[in-house]
Amino acid sequence: MHPILTRSGRMGPYLAAWLPLAGVMAVLIRLAAGSSWVEAATLAVPLAVVYAFICLAAWYPCKATPLRRATLGQVILTHALAGAISTVLWLFLAVTWASLLETYPPFVGVSERFPRLVLVLLITGLLLYTLAAVFHYLIIAFEDARHAETRELELRLLAREAELKALRAQVDPHFLFNTMNSIASLTTSDARAAREMCLTLAEFLRDSLRLGGRGSIPLADELALADKYLAIERVRFGSRLRIERHVDADSESCEVPPLILQPLVENAVSRGIATLIDGGELHIAAAHTGGRLTVVIENPFDPSTPSSPGAGLGLDNVRARIAATYNDDGRVTVSKEGSRFRVELDLPAEPTSRPGMPGPTGAGS
Amino acid sequence: MSEPDRLRAVIVDDEPPALALLREYLAELEGVEVVAECGNGFAAVAAVSEHDPDLLLLDIQMPQLSGFEVLEALDREVATVFITAYDEHAVRAFEVHAVDYLLKPFGVERLGLAVSRSRTRIGRGPAVAPAVLTAAARPPGTPLARIVVREGAKVVVVPAADIDWVEAADDYVVLHVAGKAHRKQQTLAGLETQLDPRSFVRAHRSILLNVARVSAFEQYAKDSRVAVLADGTRLPVSRGGYARLRHLLG
Repeated sequence: MHPILTRSGRMGPYLAAWLPLAGVMAVLIRLAAGSSWVEAATLAVPLAVVYAFICLAAWYPCKATPLRRATLGQVILTHALAGAISTVLWLFLAVTWASLLETYPPFVGVSERFPRLVLVLLITGLLLYTLAAVFHYLIIAFEDARHAETRELELRLLAREAELKALRAQVDPHFLFNTMNSIASLTTSDARAAREMCLTLAEFLRDSLRLGGRGSIPLADELALADKYLAIERVRFGSRLRIERHVDADSESCEVPPLILQPLVENAVSRGIATLIDGGELHIAAAHTGGRLTVVIENPFDPSTPSSPGAGLGLDNVRARIAATYNDDGRVTVSKEGSRFRVELDLPAEPTSRPGMPGPTGAGS
Repeated sequence: MSEPDRLRAVIVDDEPPALALLREYLAELEGVEVVAECGNGFAAVAAVSEHDPDLLLLDIQMPQLSGFEVLEALDREVATVFITAYDEHAVRAFEVHAVDYLLKPFGVERLGLAVSRSRTRIGRGPAVAPAVLTAAARPPGTPLARIVVREGAKVVVVPAADIDWVEAADDYVVLHVAGKAHRKQQTLAGLETQLDPRSFVRAHRSILLNVARVSAFEQYAKDSRVAVLADGTRLPVSRGGYARLRHLLG
């Protein structure tokens, strides 16, 4: 999308900027060909307007050879070619215009004087094209900067949202009430297990708050959080919830956005395993190969239950955050085949600079 | 052995700790005997048939057959207390004339109150029409996604989309699903209001048709047609029914 053509209110100032250039051109024509002021202006003004439009096309070669990615040779070659084409086209229009003027009395002899203008117009054309290219590069740089700023803001907003979600998960009535009910049950039958569950719940809540505030965390931390959540759910669901983990050691040190797996794990339990009378196996796999980190969460579900996995908001949030964090470099693939639900995250592997596991999480923080 | 005012209860929850807590609370309360513990809805329907309890303590969120669907599948009336962590089901619970509605976690006193409420209800509880139960088994405003049908001691869940056509017979309906017929105690008009009107059309006074199954229409007399289904079944279509079907099929 051309930044000047496609946005209203930009054309006027752009053309106005060409007026002084038209003046300069008129002076040059008078000096080079000895034209009258009338003739110089009649030649210069329309030619300047026409060239203003031709130079807008410089945006396309600018876009095709971005300064940050293209080599200097590519940039020079592209613009030399585009500049030459623009100038020759302009010169051709100038000749045509001059021969048209010839038929009117005040301009008699303009065709004879024209050859003296060719060199001047050639140099002016090339210079103006160069100016236009520089101008377009500036616009591109400006828009890139603004884009980056918007993306940054979006990312911060999404992270904030995830943090809020984590906060809300802490007060998610269903998870909390059911967990409290389990604890109430265990107090008489197995006091030690009840205490264990209280502690695990506290750790889970504290960790989700702590991790949610970070920019990125090692996958190991994210998986440790999921483990705490699953430990609580396993008390509730008993043998119905079975967990299978295949996590490569070197994937654990990769950085991921915080709480990116948690909604997926919760979804797998509440909309997957919980819908099955005999429960099922929740698979969590992570691998680091060829510069990519792949994390897979797979679970069975009951297809006849109305609220099937994937319907939740959690997945939307994960998708949006992956898109905002990695742009086109991160992918979320969701598949639902028969009674199996599978989510795969394919992310660039970013090794952590910090050690895999942080210190103890129980105290303070 | 059992005293005359002793309540016989069936308790149902898919989470083992929740079931254990119920058992423990009821042991503390005087005069309630747990005759069956069930970990899912299907087991609950069977247990009610087998034990004919006075009281049913029923979790709502359960796999495959929800608490509401259990109630719909029962062949007799039982004073029912719903138990859930979700307070948004309360309205629906009282629509099906539940005796009480307990929110997890709850204490033994609260359960005691529910049990004494059940005592006053037992023997003079209002009979609830199955249609009311069916209506309550879905969130308001959404068409029924699946139908619970009882076959002897067995409970069958039929997804609405699998139904080919429904036939009215006396005070019950027959659901035709892939060559099989399921009887259900309900009126055709009642069922029609619950199913998605974009999928199910009253083709005839006694026939509700899944439009997705219609492969052709044949005229066999003036103003009377038959609909031919994908499986070859031929069903009568009234003039009004034909108009409704044409409207839906475009």
